[in-house]
Amino acid sequence: MPQGIRDRAAVAGVGCTPFGERWDDNAPNLLADACFEAFDDAGIQPGDVDAIWVGSLYPFTGLSGGIAVDALKLFGKPATHVENFCASGLDAFRNACYAVAAGICDVALACGVEKILDQGSAGLPTDILGAHPVMGSVSAPAVFALAATRAMEAWGWTREDLAAVAVKNHDNGSDHPKAHFRRQVSVDQVLGAPCIAYPLGRLDACGVSDGAAAVVVTRPEIARDLAHKDDFCWVKSVQLSVHTGWPVYKSDFDYLGFPATRQAARQAYEEAGLTDHRDQIGLAEVHDCFTITELLNIGDLDLCDQADAAAFVREGLANVDGETPVNASGGLKSFGHPIGATGCRMIYEVTRQLQERADGRQVKDASFGLAHNLGGQGSAVAVAILGANDTGPTV
Amino acid sequence: MEYVPGIPILKPSLDADNRPFWEAVRRHEFVLQKCGSCDRYFQPPRPMCPECRSMDTMEWVPSAGRGQVYSFVNFTTDRMAYPAMKIPYSVVLVELEEGVRMISNMLDLEPDDVQIGMPVEVAFDDLDEDLTLFKFKKLEG
Repeated sequence: MPQGIRDRAAVAGVGCTPFGERWDDNAPNLLADACFEAFDDAGIQPGDVDAIWVGSLYPFTGLSGGIAVDALKLFGKPATHVENFCASGLDAFRNACYAVAAGICDVALACGVEKILDQGSAGLPTDILGAHPVMGSVSAPAVFALAATRAMEAWGWTREDLAAVAVKNHDNGSDHPKAHFRRQVSVDQVLGAPCIAYPLGRLDACGVSDGAAAVVVTRPEIARDLAHKDDFCWVKSVQLSVHTGWPVYKSDFDYLGFPATRQAARQAYEEAGLTDHRDQIGLAEVHDCFTITELLNIGDLDLCDQADAAAFVREGLANVDGETPVNASGGLKSFGHPIGATGCRMIYEVTRQLQERADGRQVKDASFGLAHNLGGQGSAVAVAILGANDTGPTV
Repeated sequence: MEYVPGIPILKPSLDADNRPFWEAVRRHEFVLQKCGSCDRYFQPPRPMCPECRSMDTMEWVPSAGRGQVYSFVNFTTDRMAYPAMKIPYSVVLVELEEGVRMISNMLDLEPDDVQIGMPVEVAFDDLDEDLTLFKFKKLEG
């Protein structure tokens, strides 16, 4: 039985650039901005970093850890490029936590960056997919549309139920100074938007954004001497589950959720020692790349029963003042989704929420916060749970 | 569904594993790969059985190409759709009677009429001298 990571690593500082159309910045600038904000937040110098994991997806390969070392001028430091589809950012965090928990690093940097808008595509660049209209890959909107039609058939969910997710997340994001789309939307606007892959319209899809985020991970005893000595967050668990990248050909794949999320979540709750996670999780940042995805995530994470997820959102239980606030930041939907950065942005948000210094809407009385980062066709999923400072072991 | 004249259609990328399938489609025959050792069907084609791990037991067997729509996506806005295809059109994920799933388009059916669970049968669409694609038609009755 592995010992697990609970309380063996701490989040000492976080940073995040504004997400959006960042035509005036390149990827190294964005990454440096996020990392230096995290260094300042933690009260460390760049040279204090022992190792770096950097998440980035495009252009898939040929990047190396050099993207972080060059941006931060930390030549000679061990740096690794992490790529795990859209879960790259939270997987970078996982690697940094492992290095610290293993006692190999005192201070590890997890960061992620994406500069995607100047690649000139609408939606995600698909040049590597080599898609054939009949026997090829499935685009991101299409695969989640396959899930949406299944959920509508199985549970009677409607396009209005999906739209409720967009309305909630845009409402939350409208108050966040770093969010990409800081405006509210109505159900009618969501339903009236151009249909990109029925039943998903343009406002069912998250933003495609530029941005970067960073997290300084250290051992708890070191965090006690740094800037957040009284309110650093504990890493309670960090789990990764990778399932098939081709569910479309898997005859037992029901599209009513994603097995990778269920497995990562189950293991994360166990590793964190949460016995009643529905009651204990005080907020969740989940991967709402599409409105349907958030509803499926809420069920897969067992924040409520699977079929009840639409009602959970519709009835306000996922609102900032609800039972379990989901995407108080605005989520990918409104905050934006620079692929490799998103997982670290979730840790940024969860940490600041647990420290009661959220930039946007502050949730109340949260002791544990969950980050859920989903990649590919639900193929690679990372789940991390952080605890507020008073949830740690007393010394 | 119809194609837009003048835009080239991407052709299947043939390899040693899938060539028998596409050659059969060219002859308007529908075949599926089956493991002769454990009798299971597989898709997409491959050289080794992923269940019992047998090599050299994968064989091509005729299929009626019947099944039902497991899920679907409709494309109704140009610029979001594949440029060579006229909107609106449906992409269907079909579960065949043999238990394997295939992706294709619906022939002769408006996207609004596609439903999960709808019985369908394979049909062949000759697009030019050296390209035939398989599609699905609603099975009446």
